[in-house]
Amino acid sequence: MASAASPTSTIFRRPKQTSGWMSWITTVDHKKIGIMYGYSAFFFFILGGLEALILRLQLAGPDGTVLDAAEYNAMFTMHGTTMVFLFVMPVGAAFFNYLLPLMIGARDVAFPRMNALSFWIFIFGGIFLYSSFLFGTTGPPSGGNLPGGATDASWLGSTINGGWFMYQPNAGPRFSTGTVLDYGAIGLQILGLASLISAVNFIATILNMRAKGMKLLRMPVFIWMTLVVAFLLLFSLPIIAVALFMVTFDRQLGTLFFDTFQGGDAILWQHLFWLFGHPEVYILILPAMGIVSETLPVFSRKPLFGYPAVVFAGAAIGFLGFGVWAHHMFSSGITPVAQAAFGLATMTIAVPTGIKIFNWLGTMWMGKIKFTTPMLFSLGFVALFVIGGLSGVTHSIVPADWQQTDTYYIVAHFHYVLFGGAIFGIFAGLYYWFPKLTGRMMSEKLGKLHFWLMFIGMNLTFGPMHWLGLQGMVRRTWKYPAEYNFGTWNMVVTVGAFIIASSILIFMVNWTKSKRRGVEAGMDPWDARTIEWSIPNPTPEWNFGVSPDVQSLDDWWHRKYDEDEDGRPVRRPDADSTIAQFHDQGVNPPAPIHLPTPSYFPFFAGASFLAVGYGVIYHTRGWGLPLLIFGVILLLSSLIGWSLEPLEEEHEEVHA
Amino acid sequence: MAEAQTKAQPSPKQYVQIAVLLAILTAVEVALYYIEQAGVSGRIVYPTLIILAILKFIIVVAFYMHIRYEKGIIARFFTVGFFGALMLYTVVLGTFGVLTAMSG
Amino acid sequence: MSDVAHEEHVHESTGVETRKLAMWVFLSSEFMFFGALITNYLLFKGRVGYTAPYPAEIFDIPFTSVSSFVLLMSSLTMVLADHAIHRDDQRSTRTWLIATALLGMVFLAGQAFEFTTFVVDEGMKISTNPAASAFFTLTGFHGTHVLVGVIMLLTLIGISFRKGRLSTATGLNLENVALYWHFVDIIWIVIFTVVYLIK
Ligand code: HEM
Ligand SMILES: [Cu+2]
Repeated sequence: MASAASPTSTIFRRPKQTSGWMSWITTVDHKKIGIMYGYSAFFFFILGGLEALILRLQLAGPDGTVLDAAEYNAMFTMHGTTMVFLFVMPVGAAFFNYLLPLMIGARDVAFPRMNALSFWIFIFGGIFLYSSFLFGTTGPPSGGNLPGGATDASWLGSTINGGWFMYQPNAGPRFSTGTVLDYGAIGLQILGLASLISAVNFIATILNMRAKGMKLLRMPVFIWMTLVVAFLLLFSLPIIAVALFMVTFDRQLGTLFFDTFQGGDAILWQHLFWLFGHPEVYILILPAMGIVSETLPVFSRKPLFGYPAVVFAGAAIGFLGFGVWAHHMFSSGITPVAQAAFGLATMTIAVPTGIKIFNWLGTMWMGKIKFTTPMLFSLGFVALFVIGGLSGVTHSIVPADWQQTDTYYIVAHFHYVLFGGAIFGIFAGLYYWFPKLTGRMMSEKLGKLHFWLMFIGMNLTFGPMHWLGLQGMVRRTWKYPAEYNFGTWNMVVTVGAFIIASSILIFMVNWTKSKRRGVEAGMDPWDARTIEWSIPNPTPEWNFGVSPDVQSLDDWWHRKYDEDEDGRPVRRPDADSTIAQFHDQGVNPPAPIHLPTPSYFPFFAGASFLAVGYGVIYHTRGWGLPLLIFGVILLLSSLIGWSLEPLEEEHEEVHA
Repeated sequence: MAEAQTKAQPSPKQYVQIAVLLAILTAVEVALYYIEQAGVSGRIVYPTLIILAILKFIIVVAFYMHIRYEKGIIARFFTVGFFGALMLYTVVLGTFGVLTAMSG
Repeated sequence: MSDVAHEEHVHESTGVETRKLAMWVFLSSEFMFFGALITNYLLFKGRVGYTAPYPAEIFDIPFTSVSSFVLLMSSLTMVLADHAIHRDDQRSTRTWLIATALLGMVFLAGQAFEFTTFVVDEGMKISTNPAASAFFTLTGFHGTHVLVGVIMLLTLIGISFRKGRLSTATGLNLENVALYWHFVDIIWIVIFTVVYLIK
C-alpha cells in the first residue's frame, strides 16, 4: 500500500488505524473532524437546552421555587456560555470543516493536523468548563453573602455565574471568591485558542487550496462567509484573550486591572469584552447566512440574486462589525459624543444586512420554489432574522436603548437573531447536507413537523419577551412577584420553550432513523448547484476522484443546465451522462490519491490544556504547580514531536 | 520557494549595514530620552521618538521580514492588522480621555 | 479532465507558500493582542495616587537600552541564518541560529534581572498598582513570546545537529521561525519607545 518506506520515520511512526476509536482520536480527515465537531456541539446544545428549560420552569409563574438565586445565576450563565461557545461556534466549525474542502475542490484543509488540534482543544476546553459543576466553588463575596442570603451554593449553583460577559469587578476576586469564575475565564481562553487556530487554518485553506479555476468570485457564498468569519475570529479573539488573561491574573496573581478600589477600571473590561463581543455575534450569524445563501437558490431553482452584492455585504458586515462595540455600553457612562457615534455606526450595519435580505428575497422572486424541509428552515431564518434585526436597530437609538437595556426586550432581540437566525440556518444546513454525510435522505414528514413545531415554539417563547421587556421585566431576574402581572406571558414563554424542546426530540428521532433507514440519496438528490454535489454520497474518503476544474460560478449546475432566451433553465441532454460520469470517477479514482496520515500529537497537545487549566486554578495547592508544569511539558513535547513527525509521510496512497 | 520572490534580496553585507543603521537609530532614541531629561520639551522629543520607532519598525518589516520582496497580499494582511489595531485602541483610549490628557 | 495530473499547483492559489501565508495571517492577529496590552499600560500609567512605586519612576534606561540592542542584533543573526539556508549553507545556518538563540536568551536573562530588581529592590510587585500590573503583563507576554521563539530555535538547532541538515520540508521551518522572531522584535521596538522612553 504505502510506497517506499520513508527513511525518516525511525522515532516517530505515524498511526495507521482507519477504523475503531483509535482512528477517530488520531484522524486528521476534515470530514471525520467535522462530524466529531457536529456531534459534540449537539451534545452541548442538549445541555444548554436543558439549562434553558430549568430557567423557564423557574420563571413559569410568579415567585418560582425551582431554583434559588445563586442557582439561577449559574444556570443562565452556563446556558448562554454553552450556546455561544460550545454550540453555535463549534457547529459552525463542523460545517466549515466538512464542507470547506468539498466546496473549493480540495483534498483537505491546508493543515490537517492543526485542524485536529483545534478540535481536541475545543473538546477539552468544553470538558474543563463543565467540570466546574463538579469541582467549582462559589463562596460568599468578601464581607457579604450570595444573592438571596445563602453562604454557599448547591452543586447546581456551583458553576460559572457571572453572566456570559463576566462584567468586572463583579466577576473579579473581590466579589466572586470561589473558583467557578476561574473555570469560566480559563475555559473560555482554551476555547478561544481552538477557534484561533482553526481561523488561521481556514484562511490559509481558502486562499491557497482552491481547485483549478475556483477563482475567489466563483466561490460559493458559504465559503465567502467562512472566510469572513475566520477573519473576525482572527482579529477579535486576541482581544478577548488579553481580557481573560487580565481577569485570570486579577484572580490568581493579585493584579489590579479591574479592582475599582485600587485604581482598576470596570469600563476597560466592557471595552475589551465588546470589542470581541460584537464581532462574535457576527461570527455566530454569518455561517447561517452562508448556509441559506446556498439553500435558497437551490430550492428556488434560480441563481443567487446579486452574488457580488451578497459577498460584498458579508465582507462589509464583518468590517463594520468591528466599529460598533460600544452600543453595548450606552448605559455605562461613555461620553455623549461616543454614544452618538456608536449609535450611528450601529445603524449603518443595517444597510449591508438589508442588502442581503433583499438579495435573498430577490432570489426567491419568480422562482419555482420547492418547499422542502431545508427550504422551510431557510425561509424561517429570513423571517425571524428580519424581526431580530429590526429590534436591533431600535437599540441603536440611544435613549430608546436606555429603556430597553437589561430588560427582556434585549433577550427577545438576541434570541430572534440567534435562535431564529443562527439556529434555523444551522438546521437548514443539517437537513440540506445530511445526504452528503450519510448517503440517505432525512424524512420530510418528520422534518416538516420539526420545522412547524420549532417555528411556533420559537415565536411563543421569544415573541412575548418583547412586551415583557417593555413592561419592565428585568433581564436575569430570578423571580417576580404576582402583582407585576408578568405571570401570563411568562407561562406562554415557558410553554413555548417546551414546544421547542419537543421539536428537537423529533429532529433527533429523524436523524437516527434516517441515518440507518432513510431513502438512498444517490447522486445529487437536490439537483444542486455547487461542486460538493458532483461527488458521490456519502463523500468518499478521498473527496474528489479527479480534482475539479471549475469553469464558472455554480459550476455543477452549469454542467447540467443551459438557459433558454428568457433565462429559464433547460436541462442539457447530456446531464444524466455527466452525472453518471462524475459518479464513476468519484467512486473509482483513475489515479492513486494522496491522503494526509493520522497523528497522535494533536490529541495529546489538546489534552495538555486540561492539566494546564487545573494547574493554574489550583497552583497554590501542593499538587497544582506540578500539574501545571506537567501540562506545559506535555504540550511542548507534543508540539516538538509534531514538528519532528516526518512530513513526507503526511501523504499516503489510497487505491480504491 | 525562493523563486516566488521576484526582486533580489539583500546580501549579508547589506543586512549588516541595515543593522548598523538600526543600532544608530536606537542610539539616537536613547540620546533623545536624555535630552528630554535635560529639559527640552516633550512636545518636540516625543513625536521624534515615535517617528524613529516607526522607521525602525518599517526597516525590519521591509528588509528582515522581506515584505518588500513578497506578494502584495502579505503586506495587505499586515497593514490591516496593524492599522486595525491602531484605530480600535485609539478609539478606546479616546473614550477614556487618555489621548487628550497626553497631548494636553 | 485527466490532464490535471500535477496537483502541486492546487496548493498555492495565491502564489505564496501556504505555511508562510499562515504565519503572516497569525502575526497580523498578534497586533490585536499586543495592542490591547499596550493600551492597558497607557491607560493605567496615568492613574497615580495609589501604592507607589510606579513603573516609570524606576525604569533603568541604560540597562533596557542594552537589552533592546541585543534583541535588535538577534534579528540580524536571524536574517543571516535565513539567508544561509536559502543557499543551502548548512554550517552557517547552524552558527547563526545558535547566535540568535543565545542573544534571545541574553535578552530573557536581562528581563529576569529587571523584574527581580523591580520586585526585590524597588518593591514594585505585579499587585502594587494597576500600572505595575499592566507593565508586568505587557513585558511578561513579550518575554513569553521570546521564550517560545528560543524554544523553536533550539528545536531547529537540535534537528540540524541530529540530521546533519535542516530541510524546508519539516513542519517547523526556519523561514517561519524567522518571521516570528522579527515580529517579536518589532513589537519590542514599539514597547521600548512607548513604554520606556516616553513618559
Ligand atoms: C441589524 C443588526 C443588529 C443590530 C443593529 C443590533 C444591535 C444591538 C444592540 C444595540 C445591542 C445592545 C443592546 C443592549 O444591551 O442594550 C444588541 C445586543 C445583542 N445582540 Fe444585536 N444587533 C444586530 C444583530 C445581531 C446579530 C446578528 C446577533 C447574533 C447573531 C446579535 C446578538 C446580540 C446579542 C447576543 C446581544 C446581547 C448582548 C448582551 O448584552 O448579552 N445581534 N444588539
Ligand atoms: Cu453588538
